[in-house]
Amino acid sequence: MRTIALFILGAALVGGAFAQSIRIMGYGGSDPAILVRLLDEVVGAQLAEEGITVTYEPLEGDFNAALFNALSAGTAADIFYIPVETAPGIIATGKVLPLDGVIDTSQFIDSLVEAYTVDGTVYGVAKDFNTLAIHYNIDLFEEAGVEVPNENDTWETFADKLRGVSALGDDVYGACFPAGWDRFGAFAFGAGWQPFDADGRSNLQDPALVEAVTWYTDLVREGVAVQPSDIGQGWTGGCFATDQVGVAIEGAWILGFLRDEAPNLQFGTTSMPIGPSGERGNFLYTVAYGVNTDSPNRDAAVRVLEALVSPEAQQWVLEQGLAIPSRTELADNPFFDEGTPEAEANRIVFAGADDGNVYGFQFGRIGTEWMNPINSALVEIMTGQSTVDEALSGAQADLDIVMDRVR
Amino acid sequence: MRYHRQDTVAAYLFLLPFLLLLTIFFGYATIRAVYFSFTDYDLFTTPNWVGLRNYVDLFRDPLFLSALRNSVLFAIVVTTIQTFLALVMASVLNQKVRGIGFFRAAFFMPSVTSSVVITLIFLWMFQRRGLFNYLTHQIQSAAPLILTFLAIVVVVQVAHVAWERSRRLPAGLFDPALLVVSLLAAGVGTWLLAVTGVVGARDLPPVDFIWLQTRATIPPGAPFWLSVPIPLAAIMIQNIFTTVPTFMLMFLAGLQDVPKSHYEAASLDGASPVQQFFQITIPSVRPVTFLVLTLSMIGTLQMFDQVAIFGDAAPLRSMVTLAYFVYNRMFPGAQTPEVGFAAAGAIFLALLTLTVVLIQRRLVRSEAS
Repeated sequence: MRTIALFILGAALVGGAFAQSIRIMGYGGSDPAILVRLLDEVVGAQLAEEGITVTYEPLEGDFNAALFNALSAGTAADIFYIPVETAPGIIATGKVLPLDGVIDTSQFIDSLVEAYTVDGTVYGVAKDFNTLAIHYNIDLFEEAGVEVPNENDTWETFADKLRGVSALGDDVYGACFPAGWDRFGAFAFGAGWQPFDADGRSNLQDPALVEAVTWYTDLVREGVAVQPSDIGQGWTGGCFATDQVGVAIEGAWILGFLRDEAPNLQFGTTSMPIGPSGERGNFLYTVAYGVNTDSPNRDAAVRVLEALVSPEAQQWVLEQGLAIPSRTELADNPFFDEGTPEAEANRIVFAGADDGNVYGFQFGRIGTEWMNPINSALVEIMTGQSTVDEALSGAQADLDIVMDRVR
Repeated sequence: MRYHRQDTVAAYLFLLPFLLLLTIFFGYATIRAVYFSFTDYDLFTTPNWVGLRNYVDLFRDPLFLSALRNSVLFAIVVTTIQTFLALVMASVLNQKVRGIGFFRAAFFMPSVTSSVVITLIFLWMFQRRGLFNYLTHQIQSAAPLILTFLAIVVVVQVAHVAWERSRRLPAGLFDPALLVVSLLAAGVGTWLLAVTGVVGARDLPPVDFIWLQTRATIPPGAPFWLSVPIPLAAIMIQNIFTTVPTFMLMFLAGLQDVPKSHYEAASLDGASPVQQFFQITIPSVRPVTFLVLTLSMIGTLQMFDQVAIFGDAAPLRSMVTLAYFVYNRMFPGAQTPEVGFAAAGAIFLALLTLTVVLIQRRLVRSEAS
């Protein structure tokens, strides 16, 4: 009797040592469903064979606040998302495992690895990424008798094409321009502006930025472009789906939206226009997986991370039309050459990662607060409350306060 | 004697569960917050004692000064307006009118609706092409018609009353029966003038008042401590709308205790409804007024949720309040949380609220004695 009990106890201990449970903390929304499918269909079986089970815990609401709390309280998961815009702050907590010598990051796109590198150490592996591209409504351009945008467009030729489309009527606009750095910034980079100087300060009076702000807001003042909220939309994609707006400047995330909301809209995609600097400007938006330093199952967590960003997993993500993979080897993927508008859009978004002045959607240790003064300035100019110079010097004063605080 | 002691023990036993929760989640948390406010704690490193530095830094931080200004103005303006409106609405609803129950329920709706939902709806109404600007535009466009209508009402009413009086009949200036005639006459008159093209709606460009994305203040050019940022004014309007009904309910309860005979006696002596309101209603509900003022002060000084949901819709400095400042420093984008600094802000807010309530109590007491 006693031997049987001991045997059972022993078996339980051995079994317990093998079955390791790894938790992942990430966004809410559609991410939980996607991750469950990725596990079920691609990587889950292999991990289960190795005795690892994975659970996903979505953090709804303010992800950043929830993650900082969890990290401080010691309740954070073994693996968690690191959004690129808050990465420097999250890494600075010391709770993210350095990945040098743990995971080979040489197979990933350099600029993505760079966004998660602090003082030469890599802390996160980008799960996927996006950049901006010009998506245009073929029918509207045809109706206006204007050539659709192409990769040779400069700001001037691009603006002229938008003017042609907006001439179709009072309710038709060339583009939706939101008053936000998250889209406008690409044009600032196209003008050659660098957001941070060597001391980590930002100069909003720089001629390059002034030029970009003037170009962007003038089109709105002129009535060629319109703010999304002025036509009752929340974002550029919503504007585009109304069939009254010529182009949308968005990433590949617009594709799924258009599939659902405007299935009959004929669209094409091309690269961002060439700015006065002679280069295109673009953003890199990405989210990485990081490993918790305090994870009790660190090796298993690293193993899960490897599986989630493996070529098979990324191929699946790409084919599902969910996101653009972060591995360089997928650049020549046959999927990009299928010839459909969606595949073409994906190819252009992928190529945007290293074409011209491309910067991560990141603000050093200052964080997303950095954008607020610029966003306010854009609105003030677009709505005619102040001139470019007034608005930018007001924004500089506000931004100085934010920058002074981060010592 | 023994009997009494047993009673006390029983009372404490009943209080125990609540006291326990209070000690853990309030007492302990407060002590920790006070301690953190004297340190440079950031959630991840060991706290170091820094003395009063956080408190001094508060007053060097322009965002905190904006938050302090916004909170104080918000509390004063909102408390004043909503207390007055609540009392007026309560005395209206205290009448014996058919279907009063429906009106009481309808007026109370804003307070039972989730403040998050209301904020989202208001966010749309405050857009440049939102309901507020649309209504203003409609009223401005129709101004000639509205003014004509009002002018005819006044002229007909005055003439009618004068004629009745010339026949030695008793007729007040607001006599309801005559007013109905005047309104009908004005309606027909305005319609005739509109049809014949004498007056008509004006063709004006849409109103483009910017409620949210602006750093402008009212009144323009006022000194820093007296200027209300427009986005903050938008939140004030919304907050008044959502909390007036709660206070109205309290006043209504207070008014039920005022004897009807006071009003009857007053009207026999010829007091107008407005006189009755100021001479009878306001003095009789003084204790309720103190309660409402206190609750309103505390609620407005600690304003958080509606500001948080406005989020990126308006510039931070134009709407930040003290409570939101604390949250903002606790979870500042990608920066390391400034727990010590945020705690200092929180303690300051608590002390400010306490002081305001104590002063108010003192004032009400001295007035009563």
